[in-house]
Amino acid sequence: MIELRDVTVRQGAFALDGATLAVGRGQYGVVLGAAGAGKTTLLEAVAGLRPLVRGTVLLDGDDVTALPPERRHVGMVYQRSLLFPHLDVRRNVAYGARGRSIDEAVERTGIAALLGRDVRTLSGGESQLVALARALASGPRVLLLDEPFAALDPPRRAAMRRTMRAWQRERGLTVLHVTHDVNEAALLADTLAVLDAGHVLQHGPATEVFSRPRSGRVAELVGAENVLAGIASTESDGMIVLRAGPLTIHATGERMEGPAHAVIGADEIVLSRSAPASSARNSFPARVIALGASGSLVRVELDVDGTPLVAAVTRGAVRELALAAGAAIHVSFKATAVRIC
Amino acid sequence: MTARRALRGGSVVAALAASALLLFLALPTLTLLAKGGADGARGLFVDAELRGAIALTLLTATASTLLAASLGTPLAWWLARREFRGRAIVHAVLDLPLLIPHPVAGIALLVLLARGSPLGATLLALGVRVVGSPIAIVLAMLFVSAPIYVSAAREAIADVDPRYEGVARTLGDSFRESVHRVTLPMAWRGLLAAAVTAWARAASEFGAIVILAWQPRVASVLAYDRFTTYGLREALPVAAALVLIAFVPLVALRALGARRQAVASVAR
Repeated sequence: MIELRDVTVRQGAFALDGATLAVGRGQYGVVLGAAGAGKTTLLEAVAGLRPLVRGTVLLDGDDVTALPPERRHVGMVYQRSLLFPHLDVRRNVAYGARGRSIDEAVERTGIAALLGRDVRTLSGGESQLVALARALASGPRVLLLDEPFAALDPPRRAAMRRTMRAWQRERGLTVLHVTHDVNEAALLADTLAVLDAGHVLQHGPATEVFSRPRSGRVAELVGAENVLAGIASTESDGMIVLRAGPLTIHATGERMEGPAHAVIGADEIVLSRSAPASSARNSFPARVIALGASGSLVRVELDVDGTPLVAAVTRGAVRELALAAGAAIHVSFKATAVRIC
Repeated sequence: MTARRALRGGSVVAALAASALLLFLALPTLTLLAKGGADGARGLFVDAELRGAIALTLLTATASTLLAASLGTPLAWWLARREFRGRAIVHAVLDLPLLIPHPVAGIALLVLLARGSPLGATLLALGVRVVGSPIAIVLAMLFVSAPIYVSAAREAIADVDPRYEGVARTLGDSFRESVHRVTLPMAWRGLLAAAVTAWARAASEFGAIVILAWQPRVASVLAYDRFTTYGLREALPVAAALVLIAFVPLVALRALGARRQAVASVAR
């Protein structure tokens, strides 16, 4: 288990400020944030490589705040593999093993054929595998991964994510992985923390953070397509109304007054040729701006009275509705599909 | 068209200026070698005083370099890795020996170490005679070459990404182990180049040594002594022998520089 309580680190003008989060034992925790958010600093604070101004770091319930890195038993893998260039692959992997067998780490990472190689001759993907093997061979109680797949090409990245997740589940390893990639976070995370400018904006089960972002900024960072800022008020019937420019959006949820954001999933938006006679409380005329492929779906960019919205629809829907740039269309979504935060 | 011609004209001027400077730098040494090179090479075999002076120079320069490396490497690591108060003062202390005339450095060391000074008297009471001994030569060499070693070693250590040390720490190394097992092996070419440069500076020192130790004579003092006592003709072979010896660190530095660049390009 990894637990950070009010962890503050100062680094020049930057500060990781009061970071609090927890990753349960055997869970895969992900910290999501843009470049410069403080992700690496957070990992280095857990590893003991950055002195804390205040706060506490616990590993498996033990307070390790005062312990040096070598007594924390963490494995660290950076985006750049940082293999020791004066040692070959075998000696890199065995570096932290201290007499323990490296066979399991070698087998799991599939690097047996690389053991005799000079590390300077390895490809980027091979280097990352060796760096993972080196971290695993040291027998860490937690694994800290700093954008470890960012330098890999997309197919290899996808394969590495699958492999990493499989090892972690199989071994019950506790992992804290930082990334700027929303898809990577969605694919890997049991628990998710969203970090922005040195602050943990939200943390909790990944499904909870993705489906219930606490603020507009969190919604943006977790990749919500439609985040509208406005003023919220609660009607007498309990319905929340958010006025966002020319749009009045109806939502359900807890009572809300004042500045707020409405978050609407692109797949919650229904398109039709005319205003639908349905239970959807939100219905607006719109114009199609552009269409773009997004996996098996089509991403439809819309202009709703000057407000941009994005809908995700099937290719069949595009054909049936004859969707094309400039087409007049009707947009609707249910009040229950709107998350106010 | 006019711009291209102006550019070509500028290049020609730059090439001529560079050639003139290079010629000025190379010509005296080449002339010296042409006039005294053969006698200098022969002198290495037949002139016992020259052989003794050169042996003393090599020995004391090596001792001074070993001292500079032992005492200077931790300081170089500190300067490369840590921000601390008083950093500017440390840099000033390191720069000072490079800025003052070397005879002045010799006089300063003499004031500190002469038998009338508290330190000199204490050392003498302990049976250690500094002035006029090989110890004085080593100290004079150390004074002028240690700052060069620390500066170059600092750069060599700064070239090693500190995260390597961090990774080693997470793999179970203590701070000291991480420096010994990772940083120093990764920086060794740069450190060796720093040591070679410091050695060359120590071996070529004259101004500070001549104040502290006229005897026993190192090669540079011997060359000066022969020149003032017997004239240019007698000084030439000694001077040429010194130039020939200077080629050793020169070639070593070129080789280390080339290898270091190749390794750095792969590591990056």
